[in-house]
Amino acid sequence: MTNREDEQHRYQDADGERLVQEYRLDATLDKVWRAISIQEFRQQWLPDLDLASPIPLRMVEGREVHYVMREHCPPYLESEVALRIDAATNGGTVLTIVQTVCVPTAAANDDSITFICAA
Amino acid sequence: MNESDIFKALSDPTRRQIFDKLAQGSQHASALREGMSISQSAMSQHLAVLRQAGLVIEERQGRFVHYEVSSEGIGAVAGWLEKYRAYWPARIDALKTLLKDMDQ
Repeated sequence: MTNREDEQHRYQDADGERLVQEYRLDATLDKVWRAISIQEFRQQWLPDLDLASPIPLRMVEGREVHYVMREHCPPYLESEVALRIDAATNGGTVLTIVQTVCVPTAAANDDSITFICAA
Repeated sequence: MNESDIFKALSDPTRRQIFDKLAQGSQHASALREGMSISQSAMSQHLAVLRQAGLVIEERQGRFVHYEVSSEGIGAVAGWLEKYRAYWPARIDALKTLLKDMDQ
């Protein structure tokens, strides 16, 4: 049985208040994009329960999507996670996960929430 | 030590920069400002927030004020990171399963 960690993580680092992980996926860029950006697919591997909102915070079409994670217990800490995809050399896809601490601020008059996040 | 205060304190990019600098080695207030374009009073304010959150400890040494990161603060951040470091692999396994199913 191979060491799963070596095989799947090419690079993993916690940098101060930031977590970075890379994963190789055996699927096309287009398919992975759908799996990470379309709610119907995304919730099957990243549950709504773990997110502050099922709607992405930010999106760069075909490249990157950002969500806000929220813990299940007090103080319900929130963090921003960026999911970025790049083509891998052999036709697969590299998914990079970058997670940073983040505190939400509710905008005064509208329904949307603005987040202040450490870059 | 309030975890929520810690993350509020660290969600400001300038305070993160100050915290990171101190994590590399404790310093006096004036040395800390080197290379940063913020005023003395802004620096004081940021340091006050960091101290209140328990992330930074202030100590008077004669004429100087000396700052260092607290081990409890570093521990709280490390614990949070550790939890999420262990969280993602299982999510990715589920993603791989989904990607296979999406073939059909």
